Formats: sequence, structure tokens, C-alpha cells
Amino acid sequence: MKLFDRTNFYYIVFSVVIYILVGVSFYLVVERVIYQEVEDRLKVERRDFENFIGVHGVWDESCYFVENKIELTPLNDTLQQFAAFKDTLLYNRYNNEYVPFREYSFARTVNGVPHKVSIRKSLIESKKLLKSITGIMMVVLSLGLLILFIFQRRIARRIWAPFYDTLTRARSFDLNEGKGLSLTKEQIFEFNELNSVLNKVTDKIARDYTSLKEFTENASHEIQTPLALINSRVEELIQQRNFSDEQMRWIQDIYQSALRLSKLHQALLLLSKIEHGQFFESETMDLGRLIEQKLEEFEEIFNHKALRVSVTLTEPFTVQMSPVLADVLITNLLNNAVKHNVQGGEINIVVSAAGVALSNTGASLTTNPERLFERFKKQNQTSASLGLGLAIVKKICDSYHLTINYGVNQNLHTLQLGRSQVL
Amino acid sequence: MKVLVVEDEVGLAESIAAHLTKDGFITETVFSYEAAVEKINLYTYDCVVVDINLPDGIGFDIVETLKNLKASSGIIIISARNALEDKIKSLDIGSDDYLTKPFHLSELNARVKSLLRRRHFGGSNEIAFQEIKVNYIARKVFVNNTEVALSKKEYDLLLYFMSNIDVALTKSAMAEHLWGDNIDSADSFDMLYSHIKNLRKKLTDKGSKDYIQSIYGIGYKFAKS
Repeated sequence: MKLFDRTNFYYIVFSVVIYILVGVSFYLVVERVIYQEVEDRLKVERRDFENFIGVHGVWDESCYFVENKIELTPLNDTLQQFAAFKDTLLYNRYNNEYVPFREYSFARTVNGVPHKVSIRKSLIESKKLLKSITGIMMVVLSLGLLILFIFQRRIARRIWAPFYDTLTRARSFDLNEGKGLSLTKEQIFEFNELNSVLNKVTDKIARDYTSLKEFTENASHEIQTPLALINSRVEELIQQRNFSDEQMRWIQDIYQSALRLSKLHQALLLLSKIEHGQFFESETMDLGRLIEQKLEEFEEIFNHKALRVSVTLTEPFTVQMSPVLADVLITNLLNNAVKHNVQGGEINIVVSAAGVALSNTGASLTTNPERLFERFKKQNQTSASLGLGLAIVKKICDSYHLTINYGVNQNLHTLQLGRSQVL
Repeated sequence: MKVLVVEDEVGLAESIAAHLTKDGFITETVFSYEAAVEKINLYTYDCVVVDINLPDGIGFDIVETLKNLKASSGIIIISARNALEDKIKSLDIGSDDYLTKPFHLSELNARVKSLLRRRHFGGSNEIAFQEIKVNYIARKVFVNNTEVALSKKEYDLLLYFMSNIDVALTKSAMAEHLWGDNIDSADSFDMLYSHIKNLRKKLTDKGSKDYIQSIYGIGYKFAKS
């Protein structure tokens, strides 16, 4: 529900309630006033009537017409003083309809006989007056309300315009541009505050993002350069002939460690780049086809380890993702399947529309399967492997709404890649 | 053959120069963008090795300068940044190759030679070492003029050896040259071993001497003695 609609809804409900209350109370008040007036006049007529009785001793009905009818009813029992007002309907013989009257009844002895005297006054004029006054008032009131409502809508739209403008700009905020929203100054204090807060926040995000990106790039340069120097110097050392076998082994250790450090650093850099979403380009990648292409590259190592590889492609499994990361994903999965395989084992790959299942034979896990995708979780802690392959796989999956699950069935380990349910 | 090395890390520049000089190149080194531009304006080089990150400029601009001078030099970019965009950009603006730091000197050597072979197309399309001859256009190998049938990997390995004669080559460098860095080292060393065994056998079977020497703990060397 939009802000306008919400405020209008409350506004309308509130106005209608007030409108009805005002209408009803107005009606009641006016009616009260009219009754008061009519009753006052009835009391005056009673005095007239009493004077008449006092002078003439009898009541002559003929001097009154329909309108102000006075009716006398003899009472059987003894005189008991009472006086009461009530509403009543009397038949109008000209109009053939019942007409509302206000009746004032009291007891009075006429001609020595107790009588109930009823003086009536027609309310028809007063009722009509009441109705038309109330009607006019309601019409004027509702017109006023309508005008107010339209006016309020217009004003709200104008007042909130900068807010919606800000919202649109914020929605199209792109980190890649490397700068904040730079929203303009507004006249309304709150919106101005909002804009300046948003400006500050987005500026900071953009700045942090840029510096982070620069940092990863610079760190990469600063760390790889000395490593390159170590490696090249060691390679030069190796060319010397006058080392003992033991010294050669040390040199070899230095060399391997420097290489390993560099690979480790590159893998960590890749992880942080994925984490910070620095892979923007995205294409529709058919992972099944990509696997087929990759298998050619891996053929030699399959032969070397005498692995039987079977691939079943039922339906294409396509993912909208960075081609670089798709390549890394598949390479890491295949590498993993080879690395933990046994000589003469097998690899089965099934690609369907639901996902990719990659299973390989291998020794049972020594690590906790739940921690398989964590960094530096290695089957064999002393192995030369970096222990980052599956962590990278997991990170890539996470950033493209894919799931990766591990399952094992009699030394056949399966990694199942699928789409996550919630997108 | 003249090679210019543009690299701000002095030690690394020295290493590269020493390695290339040993292989018979005339090598010059400069450590800054300014000096590099000055050099390429004054002299002609067969190959220029350029680092992207220089203290006073960007390596890409040196490539542009070379292109503007219409220099025929081959260009190899070396960079610590393993970013795909950088690789693509390098090749787009006219570099011939891209190497990510850290790299093996022997790999750089092989790349420089391969580049020069491609550049001097008109000349000989053969490289020879003793009785072994490699025609790198036809990708054929001859020992005493009899052809030796080699697999693709064996051919690559031989060419790598012949680009690095009398240089101690580490197993890592060779494995990386053959398979890139995607394959686990333990497996690749095993595969390397069997390729070397096969290559050695195929060459000696055709009457070649065995030039592949094992170096304990390190790797191999291709040399006369």
C-alpha cells in the first residue's frame, strides 16, 4: 500500500465518522430545540385554556381547528394531577395521511368532572424545517470534505515528490560507478536530512568499495612482486652446480614454499573478489557443455589415474553467471573429483535440468562432512593441496543462488549442484 | 637479438636479464616508465618485456608508444595482477603475450623465444640442437633427419627443453608449462615423469644421444654433457 493511499484511507475513515457524528448530533440538537419551542407554546396554550375555563366554566371545542386541537376526555377515577408530553400521529382527513403531533396532556376539572386534557400541536412544519436544515448542512459539509480531500491529495503528492525522487535514485544506485548518490538539497527539513544521510552513506559505501578493490589489487601486486623475486632468484641459484644435495633440497623447499604461497594468495584473492562481487559480467552458461569441454583438458590426468569417466547429459543446466567463475567452478569440482580419487576409480557426472551431480570413488572422509566447504579443511592436513578448492566452489554457488551438497554412499562421494529454492 | 626489460623491482629485472643474457640475448634493463620510453625511442628491440605497474607510469602506455612508433618489437606483459581484464586489455592493445607474476624464468625464456620465432617468420622455421631438429611450423621432430613421432605433450616438452638449453628446469615450471596451474602438483609430477621417460626413449631409439639429465630434487636439464 502506498503512503498516499494509506494516509487517504485513514483520512477518509476519520472524516466519514466525524461527518456522521456531526450530522447525527446536529439533527438531535435541532430537534431538541424545536421540541422545546413547541412545548413552550403548548404550555402557553394550557394557560390560555385554563383562563378560558376559568372565565367560561365549560369548554367549547368549536373555537379550535385541526391544527391546535384540544381534546377533553372524562376520567372515571378521582382527579390526580399529572402533566406529560408525548409524540403522537393523527389522521389528517385532507391529506389522507398520518401527521406527527406533539401532545401535552394534563388533568383538569371541567364542569366539576375530572378530565384529561390533551393539547396537540402539529410538528409537520418543524419536521420539514429540521429535515431541510440537516440536509443542506450535510450537503455543504460533504462538499467541504470532498474539496478538502482533493486538496490534501494534491498537496501530499507535491510534498512527497522529492521523497519518491530520492527513492528512484536510491534504487538505481550502482556501486560500480564508484560514487555516491549526490542527491540535491530539499526545502523540507526531513527530506533534506534523508538526502544528506543517504548521500553520506552511499558516499562511504562507494569509497569503501573502491578502496577495497584497490586494496585487493595493490595487495596482490605488493605480495606477488617479492614472491616473483624469490622465485627468480631461486631459479638462478638452481643453475649453480656447486651445491650439496642437502643444500639443493633446502633450495627446493624454499622454491616450493614460495610457489605455494603465491598460489595460496591468488586463491584467497579470488575468494575475496567473489565475496565482494567483483565479477560483474554475466552470461548464460550451460554447465553441461562446459563440463564436456573441460573433460578434454582433464583427459590426460584421467588416463594417468586410469579413471573411468561417465557423463550423462539429459537436459541442459544453465546458469546466468560470470564465465570466469563458471570455469573456476567446474575446474575445481573436477579437480576435486580427481584429487580424492583412487587409482582405477571412477567419476560419474549427471547433468539434468535440476542440476549437476558429480560423484567419484575415494577413501572415506576423515574430516567432518559439514565442514567440507570451509577454508583450509583438507582430507590430509600435510598434503600439498591448498584446501581452498571447495571453499571457492561454495562461495561461487552462494553468489549465484546455487546450492552444493555432499553425500556419500559406499565410498562413492557425490557433490550435488542445484538451484536454491528461495531466489 | 635485443631484449629490453622494463621492471621496477630491480632484483627481478636483474634476474630476468641474467637469465636471458645467458641464453645469448643482448639484454637491457630499465626500472622506470620514463627510461623505457627514452630507450624505445632511441633503439630498436626485438622483444620488450614490460611490467604493468611502474612507479611513474603504466606499462600499457609503453605498449601504445611502441605501436605509435610502428616498432616491430614483440611485446610480453608481466603483471602481478591476475585479472582477466588486464590480460584481455594487453592483448587488445597489441601485446603478444601476458605472464602473471610470479613466473618461472624458464617460462619467460620459452615465451620470448616462441614470440621471436613467430616474429621472424621469413627466416628459418627450424631450430636445431645437435642431431635433433624441430620444424615448428609443421610441428615435426627429426633425429638425424628421420622423423620421430611425438605426442602433443612430448613435443611441447621437447620445445621447452630446446628453448632452455643448459638450464636447470624445475618440475613445477615444467608441469605448469604443460598443464597450466589447474592440475594438482603430485599428479602432474607423475605425469611429467612418464612423459620425460617416453620422450627420452623415443629420441634415443632414433639414434639421438640422451640429453635429458635429471637433477636430484630439482628437475631436469637439457644439455650436451
